[in-house]
Amino acid sequence: MMTRIHAERIALVLCAVAAAAIGGGCGGDDAAFETGNMLRFGNGAEPQDLDPHVVTGVTEHRVLSALFEGLAGADPATLEPTPGVAESWDVSEDGLEYTFHLREDAKWSNGDPVLAQDFLYAWERILTPEMASEYAYMLFCMAGARAFYEGEITDFADVGAAAPDDRTVVVRLEHPTPYFLQMQVHQSWFPVHKATIEKFGGRTERGTRWTRAGNLVGNGLFMLERWEPNKRIVAVRNPHYWDREAVHLDGVIFYPYDESQTEERLFRVGELHVTSTVTPNKFDVYQRENPEILQNADYLGTYYYRLNTTRPPFDDVRVRKAFALALDRDDLVRNVVRMGRKPASHFTPPDTAGYTCQHTVGYDVAEARRLLAEAGYPDGQGFPEVTLLYNTSESHKEIAETAQAMWSQALGVDVRLRNQEWKVYLESMTQLDYDIVRSAWVGDFVDPITFLECFTTDNGNNRTGWSSAAYDALIAEAVRTADRDARFAALQEAEAILLDELPIIPVYFYTNAWLQAPEVEGLDHNLLGYISFKRIRLAHAAEG
Amino acid sequence: MDSRAEVGAIDARALLTQAEKGASLWSDAGRRLAKNRLAVAGVVVLACVFVFAAIGPFASPYSYDGQDRENRFAPPSGAHWFGTDNLGRDLLVRTMVGGRVSLMVGLAATAVSLVIGVLYGATAGFVGGRLDQAMMRVVDVLYTLPFTIFAIILVTYSGQSIVLVFVAIGAVEWLTMARIVRGQIMSLREKEFVDAAVVMGLSRRRILLRHLIPNALGPIIVFVTLTVPRVMLLEAFLSYLGLGVQAPMSSWGSLIREGTLAMEEYPWLLIFPSLALSLTLFSLNFLGDGLRDALDPRSSKD
Amino acid sequence: MHMTRYVVRQLASFIPVLFVIITLTFFLVRLAPGGPFSSEKALSAEALAQINAHYNLDAPLWRQYVDYLAGLARGDLGPSMKQPSRSVSEWIAYKFPASLELGLYGLLFALCVGLPAGILAAWRPNTWTDQLPMALAMAGICIPNFVLGPLLVYVFSLRLQWLPVAQWDGFAHKILPAVTLGAVYAAYIARLSRAALLDVLSQDFIRTARAKGLSEPRVVLRHALRGGLQPVVSFLGPAAAGIITGSFVVENIFRVPGLGTEFVKAAMNRDYTMILGTVLFFAVLIMLFNLAVDVVQAWLDPRLRHG
Repeated sequence: MMTRIHAERIALVLCAVAAAAIGGGCGGDDAAFETGNMLRFGNGAEPQDLDPHVVTGVTEHRVLSALFEGLAGADPATLEPTPGVAESWDVSEDGLEYTFHLREDAKWSNGDPVLAQDFLYAWERILTPEMASEYAYMLFCMAGARAFYEGEITDFADVGAAAPDDRTVVVRLEHPTPYFLQMQVHQSWFPVHKATIEKFGGRTERGTRWTRAGNLVGNGLFMLERWEPNKRIVAVRNPHYWDREAVHLDGVIFYPYDESQTEERLFRVGELHVTSTVTPNKFDVYQRENPEILQNADYLGTYYYRLNTTRPPFDDVRVRKAFALALDRDDLVRNVVRMGRKPASHFTPPDTAGYTCQHTVGYDVAEARRLLAEAGYPDGQGFPEVTLLYNTSESHKEIAETAQAMWSQALGVDVRLRNQEWKVYLESMTQLDYDIVRSAWVGDFVDPITFLECFTTDNGNNRTGWSSAAYDALIAEAVRTADRDARFAALQEAEAILLDELPIIPVYFYTNAWLQAPEVEGLDHNLLGYISFKRIRLAHAAEG
Repeated sequence: MDSRAEVGAIDARALLTQAEKGASLWSDAGRRLAKNRLAVAGVVVLACVFVFAAIGPFASPYSYDGQDRENRFAPPSGAHWFGTDNLGRDLLVRTMVGGRVSLMVGLAATAVSLVIGVLYGATAGFVGGRLDQAMMRVVDVLYTLPFTIFAIILVTYSGQSIVLVFVAIGAVEWLTMARIVRGQIMSLREKEFVDAAVVMGLSRRRILLRHLIPNALGPIIVFVTLTVPRVMLLEAFLSYLGLGVQAPMSSWGSLIREGTLAMEEYPWLLIFPSLALSLTLFSLNFLGDGLRDALDPRSSKD
Repeated sequence: MHMTRYVVRQLASFIPVLFVIITLTFFLVRLAPGGPFSSEKALSAEALAQINAHYNLDAPLWRQYVDYLAGLARGDLGPSMKQPSRSVSEWIAYKFPASLELGLYGLLFALCVGLPAGILAAWRPNTWTDQLPMALAMAGICIPNFVLGPLLVYVFSLRLQWLPVAQWDGFAHKILPAVTLGAVYAAYIARLSRAALLDVLSQDFIRTARAKGLSEPRVVLRHALRGGLQPVVSFLGPAAAGIITGSFVVENIFRVPGLGTEFVKAAMNRDYTMILGTVLFFAVLIMLFNLAVDVVQAWLDPRLRHG
């Protein structure tokens, strides 16, 4: 009798679980919006936020460049400045003062006009110390911006930005900045809508509700319709956008898939028009079978190894050089890195705003062995055990394994590998607690200075312990110089020093590879991976 | 001695003899195990896997880190039975070497969690009361702490030796073991033979170790066979966090994880390491079932 | 009632345990190298100081701890440091339902497959009705979810095109993730219930029942299941808590907007407030589940009520 009761009780428990499961299932919501002329865009990760003054990543930039517009835009193929909110601008003789003339019909997505004061408000906001913006430094080329950010001046009127009238913005620069106009496509220069921000919180408050769908007011070609974190962000036509006639798409749906395998599968079944990336294995397959779907564009980034110059054996320039010369980059890139990337024999990617480094570091095993012997380690004898550190990732691992094999074969040295989780790795690198460490640098704007200023003595991105007074002086000179040729000459000389002393070993130059459905037209490539949604159209939608 | 107590004691002794079989049967267990064909097959296959991992690499013309980059992703062939990987390394020898890591981690870490979990869970379940409550609260706390952070801290402050992998895995895996054992012991504790043992004046320690634990062995063994695969895969996660073996050395867990990434293009990278792992786990499972049956104090009556 | 008093006492004992968990986690996460704002592009010292000040990370550790506890007392889990668009509580409220739903489906799948398999296997041990389900169960255990997920997607989504590849919208989107998540639990349940049932079936009261001539299904289902479920239930408690709090792997493969991914990402990002918030939430969940298991166990086995 007792057992019968128990059997019933068990059944009851099971039923409860089943009921809960089914009950929970009723909450599913379907994508009930029109997807006809919408670009379904794989965007990598989930954005941290949509506040232009808070976010830092490429992912966020893509969404924000659909929702906001700066003073100037950029041609998606050449990155040449194009009119944005400003229909024209004047540059002073010395290149230090820019006067922007704002168009009359520039409007916020709620219909308010975009005024000069909106830009000043935004710039003051991002530079206010309490805002704690991680990308505030992008504005430091503006006179007084750094001083304001660091609290040395407290009145924003003393910063080199002014609005003589509603439709004019004047920016005074700290030093000649050839890339100033191009930087206007970066979110840190975007205007924000004062009334919206202050409706939902303080001027410099992070994480208020102003960035939610329904609240956010932007001035870009699209406006935020829906934001379901980790599912999708839907942006639809902004009826108040001044150039709305030129926009082909009805909107963009950004899908956050950080798993590139998943992204590729969704692309294959036709759920995505564009992926954010493609894995090396899939790259090979598509290149072989569907090359028209595979896109690959040069990207302003360098993959390299840092060497710790503060401790043996890499405090000896001969050892550093030996390691650099013993790395067969062609083999490494062709067989391991793949993805159409290019072996790097210098640090700044070739043809960065017309600058290509003339000095190179090649592949020369005989010379490498000679240098290592000269440093006291003939055939690698007596060479201490060194460790190559990388953050955990399949591709970093295979590159490290190959480098290890190459160094062992060419130099007879034993290099151990070590992987660390991202933040631990960053900490090891910052603390100079490594021998060799995998590194990468992606430029914020197209100019060699964004690469070369990393290795000045006090730069936080140096992280090698290397210091050269001559190098620092040349970089300072380049920053001061307005003349392009003189500027590049100084940079050439600086990079030559860098490649002679080799605190770093360049490995390869990045490319951006992604999958793109044939019906997507007008998605141009450029060095910054900047995407202009204005020109994109979906072929079948245009026909139908 | 009072006659009623006398009778009670005799009853108790009879009951106890029955229960004691559980503990004294170890000698018979081997004999009974040998009769179980599946279990014997399991032992044989396991032995083969051990030989494969331990001695195999010496018999191969390739080394686990010898690269042949022009010959990468070669499908299985006469030269490379298991094919080659992304750097043209022989997958057969990499699977053998990876087996060393996985087998070692699988057995050692499971043993760690087994010993801690059984002793802890049995003590809590047997003693009961406030001590049990306190001990289970400790389990709750440990269960909740973020394992990722724990592993990161472990690797940061004490290097990255393989022993740490045992510690890290043992530290989490014993918790479930302890819960299961505690539940078992609590229900066994109410059984007659325990009362009998108490009447006999046996020490609590002896009752626990000689009577209760052996009687709970069935579920424990099953759980062990379930823990080994978890542990082997956990090792791959720890290696993601930088704990444990370093490239170019690998383990089955890591090989399988990498194989998944190339599943459609180069399926052998997934199939062979998975087969090695599955074969091992299946044999282990048959052995576990056999052991369970052989150790079962009641099975002799069937 | 005895049981009610037990439950109340247990609930009261949660508070000090939660306190210990919060304290340990608070200091552990700060022991881990790197902070929420360490990045590949180094922040200038000023920027780092500003942002640390913004999140109260420049205060002495004890001060941060006290402030955090004070916030907790007000029911405030703080802002997320790495995903500032929402507060930690908002994130949990947004992400937990997906994990819960996925977990319940997974659990349902595990029970519906695992339990019958275990019973079937124990019914006639060492025959094919035992060996087949057990071999399948072993396969379920051997195939890790990061392999099973892509395999299922390959077969059912890419080849057969029956089910969606990923996303979390309609019911069809939930099948593959639930099976991927539940498979290993189904296997565990099958194995555990078989072993436990076999244990029970060899006991005297079952012999009696059989001797009385009761039919075999009746013996197994009516009489043996009671004792046989005990280890399954003690496994299910923590397992259910685990399954419902989400799985990083499954959520990632199928892009489920769940809490499992959030938890691991928070740890990786050193999003201190997010880690603490999710740990606290998980702790409460797990303890509630374990309590539920104790209650169910006592219910299934009256002798335990005195324990």
